[in-house]
Amino acid sequence: MSHKVAKIGATTLVLATVFGVLLYTTLGESMQYYKYVDEVAASPQAWEGKKLQVHGYVVPGSIGRKRDRLEYQFDIQRNGQTLRAYYTGVVPDTFKDEAEVVLTGALTPTGFMATEMTAKCPSKYEEAPNFSTAP
Amino acid sequence: MSALGYYLLLAAFVGCAYAAAISVAGARRRSRALIESGTGAFYLVAAIMTAASSVIVYSFVTGDYSVKYVQRYSDSALPLFYKITSYWGGLDGSIMFWVFLLSLFGSVAVYINRERHRELIPYVVAVISVVEMFFLLLMVVHKNPFETFLTESPADGTGLSPLLQNFYMVIHPPTMYSGFVGLTIPYAFGMAALITGYLDDSWLRAVRRWTMISWLLLSVGLGLGMIWAYEELGWGGYWMWDPVENAGLLPWFTATAFLHSVMVQERRGMLRVWNVALVITTFLLTLFATFMTRSGIVTSVHNFGEDPVLTRLFTIFMVSTLVLSFGLVIHRMPLLRARNELDSWLSREAAFMFNNWILLFSAFFVLFATMFPTLSEAVTGERITVGPPFFNQWMIPLGLAMLLLTGIGPLLAWRKSALVNLRDQFLFPTASGLLVGGGVVALGVRVWSSGLCFAFAGFVLGTVAQEFWRGARVRQQTTGTDLFTALIGLVGRNKRRYGGYLVHVGIVLMFLGFAGEGFKQKQTVEVTPGQEITVRDFTVRFDALKVTDDGRKQMVTGETTVFRDGAELTRMYPARWYFRKHEDAPTTEVAIRRSFSEDLYIVMSDFDLAEQRASVEVVVNPLVNWLWFGFGMLAFGTFIALLPERAFAFADAKVPAGAATASLLLLALVLWPSAVLAQEVAPRVRFTELEERVRSEVMCTCGCRRSLTFCGMANCHGEADQMARLREYISQGQSHDQILASFVSDMGGEILMSPPDSGFNRLAWLLPYLLGAAGLVTIVVTARRWSRPVAVAGGADVMVDPALDARLDDELRDLD
Repeated sequence: MSHKVAKIGATTLVLATVFGVLLYTTLGESMQYYKYVDEVAASPQAWEGKKLQVHGYVVPGSIGRKRDRLEYQFDIQRNGQTLRAYYTGVVPDTFKDEAEVVLTGALTPTGFMATEMTAKCPSKYEEAPNFSTAP
Repeated sequence: MSALGYYLLLAAFVGCAYAAAISVAGARRRSRALIESGTGAFYLVAAIMTAASSVIVYSFVTGDYSVKYVQRYSDSALPLFYKITSYWGGLDGSIMFWVFLLSLFGSVAVYINRERHRELIPYVVAVISVVEMFFLLLMVVHKNPFETFLTESPADGTGLSPLLQNFYMVIHPPTMYSGFVGLTIPYAFGMAALITGYLDDSWLRAVRRWTMISWLLLSVGLGLGMIWAYEELGWGGYWMWDPVENAGLLPWFTATAFLHSVMVQERRGMLRVWNVALVITTFLLTLFATFMTRSGIVTSVHNFGEDPVLTRLFTIFMVSTLVLSFGLVIHRMPLLRARNELDSWLSREAAFMFNNWILLFSAFFVLFATMFPTLSEAVTGERITVGPPFFNQWMIPLGLAMLLLTGIGPLLAWRKSALVNLRDQFLFPTASGLLVGGGVVALGVRVWSSGLCFAFAGFVLGTVAQEFWRGARVRQQTTGTDLFTALIGLVGRNKRRYGGYLVHVGIVLMFLGFAGEGFKQKQTVEVTPGQEITVRDFTVRFDALKVTDDGRKQMVTGETTVFRDGAELTRMYPARWYFRKHEDAPTTEVAIRRSFSEDLYIVMSDFDLAEQRASVEVVVNPLVNWLWFGFGMLAFGTFIALLPERAFAFADAKVPAGAATASLLLLALVLWPSAVLAQEVAPRVRFTELEERVRSEVMCTCGCRRSLTFCGMANCHGEADQMARLREYISQGQSHDQILASFVSDMGGEILMSPPDSGFNRLAWLLPYLLGAAGLVTIVVTARRWSRPVAVAGGADVMVDPALDARLDDELRDLD
């Protein structure tokens, strides 16, 4: 019996270690920090070049778009701090003034370059089924 | 009417408490009368819940907008069909629907098994009743669907979100819910077996079917959700590893594992602890899935309100369930010892064990990755997320390993495979896999995961074909009929086995759909009339932008013409619809041209009417339809496995197979039942985050005694006054706490909706929990008091009677 327990224990340990290490290494590549606009805007240098998701609200009237292109430029804010953001692609149905958005991308000195955008419904849907352009 | 509904809920709560207490008492005193009384109360709860459901549906149909829930999720313009289905449109109603389904499922399960598993029944009744009590308590103290407007009620409702006015969205949540609820039944039987100590395999046989049905419902529910996402949301895919999607997947993994490991216990008497643990885990995951999606502990694109009360109640319930259940398992460990040991790694039971590990690991992984942001925030204080690529990186290899095992498992013998047989068994499937793999390489497929997927698919199909072929040949020789009749007879004799193989075929088809994802191509372009977009061999010409109106909605349609290799193929019309009352949330109407080899998928995401300009996204999705065929096949296979004994009598009567298939499909359609994820409707005025927060905490002064958010009075001046005051405080730069303090100092402490969380006021918070705890204590005390052992001479054989013999016969026949 104890022999069997030892075998099972050893197998579990080895498997757990292997998967743990694998998880840890793969996590490193795909981790993104999840921050609110004010946290990022407070110390932009610290966040430059890191994979980042930024959560904030679109500043009313700030959405601009290039003619003939799907290139957007807008400001997002939270608690009075704002951040300039750029996004190219199809925006979700709910992307508009005051919309709550989560942008994925990287911070540069000119602003936040978003590669993905998720917009929540501006008001309180208990469940607003996903409005997303991701992936 | 709504008062009646509320009293019905209270009555159901009392009924459950009675059923739980008296059944346990009856079991302990070995009194048939008490047990039957408990079971009767249990059936009665189902009747009460049916009545309560009728009340809410009646309120929806007649448009009783004094009921808040009705007012929030429907309006007079809503078609009748959606009015009825609004029942499970929101959280409150979906909890009620959950209890309704559970009471029905439970009653059916208890009724069917009342003779065969008589010793388990009282505890099954008790366990299900306690689960029902939890959900009823949620409704009674926190989320009452029958809550009404105390003063003047609105003349019309706010209406159902247009995104949810869609056939799939109507049947997807109830299907998922039925699956979740159905998985409570195996849990109840497992617990009953643990409590009574009747831990032979009989409880497994009682729940085998239930697990299969629930698993089917869960699979179909997931499939419907994917179809809905694909057709309605317009991002060109069907799965994005969103927490809400993952929540449904978690119990699916463990239920699948259970369906496989059950066979090992039946055949070999192994994995007994494992099976009990899987049943408990599955149940906990269904609770956790609900909890995760409802409590706001994960961030999701499905925007849920945060609900701390719900979070606490759920946490308490889940933790106690976890501790109690696994505590019992540990307590009964001596009775759960395996009857056999693993003889060889080259055996079917070993393959099943690998299958279980992979499925369980998948569940663990998805849970971990979904909870990662929450975990990382708790540990490091830094919220870190992982995206879909992380999921794919792990789930693709895991999925491929599963697929390969699907082909290997059936080829191995129980106990130990002889090497000679192995060659014989593996020759054809391996050849088939290699052939497909070679063909794929020759055709120039360079996506490794998709290529492997095709090769494995060939291997699995080879295995299944070989199994059917060999079985049918043997039967043909022994019965002397033609091959086709022999095939039907074979399936009829071994429904679970061959139904299971058909499910495997379904899984293979689904994997073909997944593999196609690797070849997806898309392009997004801003176009004016006459411009063309080319993706692969399709060319889409944008012709014009039209606006039409049908009374319920305004439709902006982009007209396009599709060419393939220069020849005109078809015209397609992607659109944006603006429903009345929901103009700020237009829906995207995707145009899809389906075919076996690929879908052409066109979305118009944005437009400018004045300049006749539109942004159009064109996606080519290869093989995606095989995914839906796979779900169909999976459902068909499960139905075969579920058919009752007599259903295959026609195999001998030589009914044309077409008729059989058609009737099976009909049956499938009829049986697709219905339960719930919630959605709410946007209010018309928007507020900033801070305003919204204060609005829910401060009372309206119009006398309605509700928060500003929920006042709901027409022309409420109290709200306007309070808002003016709130804006003034905000403009003074006050923080949230300061604002509340200002409200209190200006208008008195009563102006706050909830007492500040301090000192004596904590009692108000505690009350619901005290109520729940008191109920539980009452049950335990009553059960104990009523169940003082009766000193009857020879009482030990009260439970033994001739019916047991009949049962034994039944079970022996059941062993396949």
